[in-house]
Parts: sequence; structure tokens; C-alpha cells
Amino acid sequence: MKKKGAKPGYMSNNHWEKKNYKWIYLFLLPTTVIFLMFYLVPIVQVFATSFTQWDGFNEPVFNGLKNYENLFTSSAFLISLKNLLLWALIAMFLHVGFGTMIAFVLYQRKRGWKATRAVFMIPNVISAAAWAMIYRFFFNNDFGILNSIIRKFNPDFDVQWFYQSPWAFWAVTFTWLFYAVIVTLLVLGDLMNIPQELNEAAVIDGAKGWQLIRYIQLPLCRNAIATGVIASITSRITMYEQISLTTAGGPGNDTMSLPILLVNAVTDYRYGYANAIGVLMFVIGLIMMGIINKAFRMNETDY
Amino acid sequence: MKKKRLLAALMAGIMLVSTGCGASSNGGGSSSDGGDSGEITITIPSYKTGENVGATFFEPQVERFNEAYEGQYQIELENVTEDVFNDQMKQLAQQNELPPLVQGGDKEWLRTVVFPNGMAYDISGWLDEHQEIKDLMLADAIEYCTEDDGAIYSVPLATVRPTGFFYNSAMWDVADQDLSAMTMDEFIELIGDQKIAFSTAENAWVSALFLTALIADEEGGVDLLNSGINEKITDLSQEPIVNAVEKLQSLLQNNASSNSIGAAYPDAANAFMSGQASIIANGPWMSTDFEETNSANWSNGFDGANVRASLFPNQVGIAQTQSYGEWWISAEATEEERECALAFIEFIYTPEELEAYLLAEGGDAPNLEYSEDFTAQQGETQVLADLAADTTEETVFAPCILDVIPSSVGTSDLSRLLPSLADGTLTAEQFCEQLTTAAQEATAE
Repeated sequence: MKKKGAKPGYMSNNHWEKKNYKWIYLFLLPTTVIFLMFYLVPIVQVFATSFTQWDGFNEPVFNGLKNYENLFTSSAFLISLKNLLLWALIAMFLHVGFGTMIAFVLYQRKRGWKATRAVFMIPNVISAAAWAMIYRFFFNNDFGILNSIIRKFNPDFDVQWFYQSPWAFWAVTFTWLFYAVIVTLLVLGDLMNIPQELNEAAVIDGAKGWQLIRYIQLPLCRNAIATGVIASITSRITMYEQISLTTAGGPGNDTMSLPILLVNAVTDYRYGYANAIGVLMFVIGLIMMGIINKAFRMNETDY
Repeated sequence: MKKKRLLAALMAGIMLVSTGCGASSNGGGSSSDGGDSGEITITIPSYKTGENVGATFFEPQVERFNEAYEGQYQIELENVTEDVFNDQMKQLAQQNELPPLVQGGDKEWLRTVVFPNGMAYDISGWLDEHQEIKDLMLADAIEYCTEDDGAIYSVPLATVRPTGFFYNSAMWDVADQDLSAMTMDEFIELIGDQKIAFSTAENAWVSALFLTALIADEEGGVDLLNSGINEKITDLSQEPIVNAVEKLQSLLQNNASSNSIGAAYPDAANAFMSGQASIIANGPWMSTDFEETNSANWSNGFDGANVRASLFPNQVGIAQTQSYGEWWISAEATEEERECALAFIEFIYTPEELEAYLLAEGGDAPNLEYSEDFTAQQGETQVLADLAADTTEETVFAPCILDVIPSSVGTSDLSRLLPSLADGTLTAEQFCEQLTTAAQEATAE
């Protein structure tokens, strides 16, 4: 009886789907066109031209792996890779760690937590370029706040934070390190979604304070933290304004990054070389995402 | 149900049109109007508009042209920011939407893309018919703009604006001395403990000018700089450059104003116009900053009237006469548009307009016989008069170092390495070695 009754319904659904295929395709069309025009074609073009010598205007000339060979023998490129690795580690542990910590503080819902969340959000509505300019003043040797305070204790203090080794690396890092509101919002969202029964059950079982965080809440925020790590690390791969407007990659190559090298190559009309850098940024991003996905077991569900 | 389907189809259609097809909007910047009035109108995208420093002279010049040719030709300006101007021209070229008359453009792009690919109109015939204009043009410029087949695409320059330096005579009282006639060593000794406004950020413009003057002072330095006009210099460890960098290091360490490290051009200008430095290297266009009308930018008792100017020691003026001019005509321009464009070029090369340009922006037109009125008016602006007095047949022109090294080395590597040179982390040799490596990487095939 049940089977018989189900059959017409099943057929009807299938029939309905077939009847509406044209509508499905029609509504998919804009997205498909956008994907092809603005994602797939440019990505394929970047990959293809990375194997050519190309000035951006005349026809690209195939030159095999020459661009990659030049890249891997460039000292600036190797330093930018080292910087990326360091920044990725700092982003993963300090930046995401700080954002997560703030989320847990806000989760306590002490008085004023909503106002604190809003204030913590403010840096995100200011552009990276504006922040870079603000930090240029903050770290200015003549009249910057930081050196003015230090000179109260040490009048002879004289450091050009953005223009002296090894300070420049840390000064650039400082321009993004504590702006972790995206991580905070992601983690806070997951924390808010933890069923109250779970917390209560843990409390009944004797879990307190840190134990509750360590064994219940933190593991249940795993996906949000992983998403935060991915967002943070990909931001480091593409980080341009903060460096370009402060140190421009200097002093020497102390704060060199892949996007700065890419823009320099475009300045010299070396689009093939620039696209080889673009390909590496793309590949590094994919590898990082794969590792993080695996490490945080992002494909597994919690509930 | 039918209504819903119709609505859905309509919405999907609108989405498709607004997203996909919307990308192909017309980016062209030109139009011509041969309507009832018979007036030919062309639109020129220009960065010398609005707040741009060049607009002060250029916009009134276009108005003068429109008045002079009222009813016949009309030029309309389209404001394009200077930062994106060259890129926009490249995009318009790719879309075959170039304006009939094109202002400048990236030199390398002109040389390797525009001219070889027939995108510009050959004006050599027109120039031969207008010998009075050709006679005003610099011989070096004509030679540089003439292609192997005799075609001339870029309108050669008639003026040269040698760059020297400005000094505050209230802080450094040397107005009675001919600084450009000194040797560089005498000049540096005379500077003593005076402060110089340097910049190290962006393209380190002010420092690059000093470095150019120091290289030009070395034996073989001018030839070395000139050799980079046609083929970029990639060996920056050559003796004249290393010696010049050594002197620059000493100046950075002993004479730089306190904000020099990390300073962009506005910071350097501010140091000069606030009395923190008594010397700044820059082109004659800076003269307008010293006029009373711009006194809002002065502080700490700075007075523009005290500013004097000079070319660099050994009569070195930084200028590139072997270069493309400011204008070229698109090959796609219609006959009417071309007629209007050529009329505009003829207009701006009249002696009156050239003199007006020199009075506004400084410089010299070596092949132009100046009117008495012009000479009198030029004398009223002290710094322009100083530079005009220094510009003689003995003047040695040298291109700026930024124009003869690979672009990225000038815009990025130089500024990244200068702080390390200034604080002594790098020696002059190491500095030059690193620049050489960067230059060679930037030009690797």
C-alpha cells in the first residue's frame, strides 16, 4: 500500500523537476556567466600566461618554466616566502588566538559586552590603507605616540620602526595583529549555538570554568576557528596595502611580500612573471586550506 | 501561474543583461560633432584637470583655444586622475576607444606597443608643412621621436625644464654666489651643516634628484646616465654611481632633515616650507608653492620671497631632451578629429602659448626668441629668473636616474634600500650591489 502510494508522488516530483529544468538552467545562467567571465577565464589565463614572456600588450611568447626559474632564484622571492611563513604562523596562533579569546570573554555576557563587540568591530570598517597611514604616524620617530612615550623614560631613544631592521617586520605585523573581529564573530557565533543542555550536562558532571572551555566549548568551535585561520592566512598571502603604504617591502627586503613582487613585475611589464607569482599565491592558498581542513577536521560535524 | 513564469523569465533576463552584458560599457573618451553648427568637437581625457597642479595652466589654455577657434573647433576635457591615467589609456587602446588626441602615456608602452603597432598617426608630413613649428622643437627631441622609417608619432618637445634645487636664502645666505658654477666638492663644503629635505618613500624623488646630480658630477657620469635613455642601466655598481652613492650617504647622515627617512615628497616639501631644511631639489614647477597665494602651506616664519633657485654644481640641469613629447594623435581619429587635434597642437606651439607655459611652469625654449614682455615677466618670479640665468649653452643636461633604471627599481627598490644606506646598515658598494641585483632580476627574460 505504502509503495503504491509513494510511486505516483515520486513520479510527480520527477516530472515536476523535468518540467522545470529550463527554469533551473535559466536561473543558473547568470551565475554561470559570472563564474566563467570573472573567475574561471582569468584563472586559466593567469596559469597559461605564467609560462610565457608577456608584456601585457603584445602576444605572449611561450618560455616554459623560465618565469618560475627566475622566481625561485630571486632572493626577494625567497625572503617573501619566509615572511609569509612567519606571518602565517603569527596569524594562526596570535591573531586567531586573540580573536578567539575575545569571543570567549564576550560569551560571558558581562555588562557592556554588546558595546565592546561594536567597538572591537570599528577597525574593520576602516580601510587597510587608512590604517597603514595611521600607523605611519603612530610609529613616526619624530612625533609618533610610541616613541614620544618611550622618550619619557629614555630621552635618547631613536628607532625608525618602519625603516630599520629588525623592527620593520614587527611594525608591519602590528598593523593587523590585533584586528581579529572576524575571528571573534565567527567563534562567538558558534559559541552562541552550543545547546544550553550541553553546558548544563557538563556542569552537572562537575566541569568548571577552564574545563568547560577546554573540553566542551573550544572543541565545538573547531569549525569557526578553522574558518578564522583560513581567512587570516589567506589575508596574509594577499596582504598588500599595509606593506606598500608603510615599508614598501623594506628596509632591504625585510618586509617583502608576494603581492609587492607581483606589482613590481607589472610595473616592469613582466606580466608572465607576475602571473607566475599569482599562480604560486593561488597554489599556496590551496595548500594552506587543505592543511587546515585536515588539521581541524572541518568535514566532520559536531552535533 | 503564467504571470509568475513570465515575471521569473523577465527577472532572469534582467539579471543576465545587468551582469554579463553590463561589463561591456563604452569606455571611450572621444566624440566628434560635425552637426549643424559645423563645429568639430573632440573630448580629451586629461589628468591636468581639477585639483591637479598642471590644471592651473592647461585648463585656461584649452579655454583660450576654444575661444580662438570658436565655431570651428572645440575641445572638451574629461577629468582622469593622474595615478590611473596611463592605465586608462592602455585600456582605451585595447578597446580601440582611444581619444583622437592623446596626452602622454607610458613611455615604454608608446615605444613597444603604440608606435610599432600603427596605433598613432604620423605627423612628419604635417611638421614638414609647418616648418615654423618644427624650428621651435628641440633637435634632440625630433631625433628621438623620429622612427627608423622617418615617421614621427609623438609631437617633439619645444621646451626643456631643467631641474635644480631651491634654497632658503634667509637660512643659507649664498645668494651672491654662483652655485651652479662650483664643483660638487666646493658645493658640499659650502653646505656645511645646512639641512637638506630628502625623501625616501615612494620613488624617493628628492633624493633621486640629488643622486642624479652627484652621478653627473662624476667622470663619465653624464654619459652613463644618457646611456640609460635607450637601454635601461642594469649595472648600478659602476664607479660613477658608487662614488655618487658614497656622497649621498654622507649627505643623508649629516645633512638630512629629521623627517627624511620614510618621507614622501609632500613631507620633504613640508620640511622645506616649515624651515626645517634650507635646501630642496625639485623642478621649476615648485615655484608656485613660493607665491604669496600659497602661503597657507608655510610655517615657522618661512617666506617664499626668500627662496632662490640654482642648477646643480658643474652646471648640471636634470632634464631629458631625448624623450617623447606630451601629445600624439590616434590613428583611429577621423579626418575632422585629426584636423581639430592638429589645430590644437599648432595653437600650443605658438610663441605666445609657449611663453605663457614657461611663465606658468618654468623652463626654457632654446629655439624661441623671447619677447621683451616675457623677459620682464619672467624676472618678476625670482626662482624662475634664477633658473633662466643658470640655463645657458654651457648647461649640461642629464636624465634623472629614475628614468634610466628599470621602473620597479626606481619606484620600489631604491626607496626600500635608502633607509639602510642612511643608517649605515649598507655601505655604498652593498647598496649598489643590491640595486644591481634588483635591476637584473627586473629585466630578466
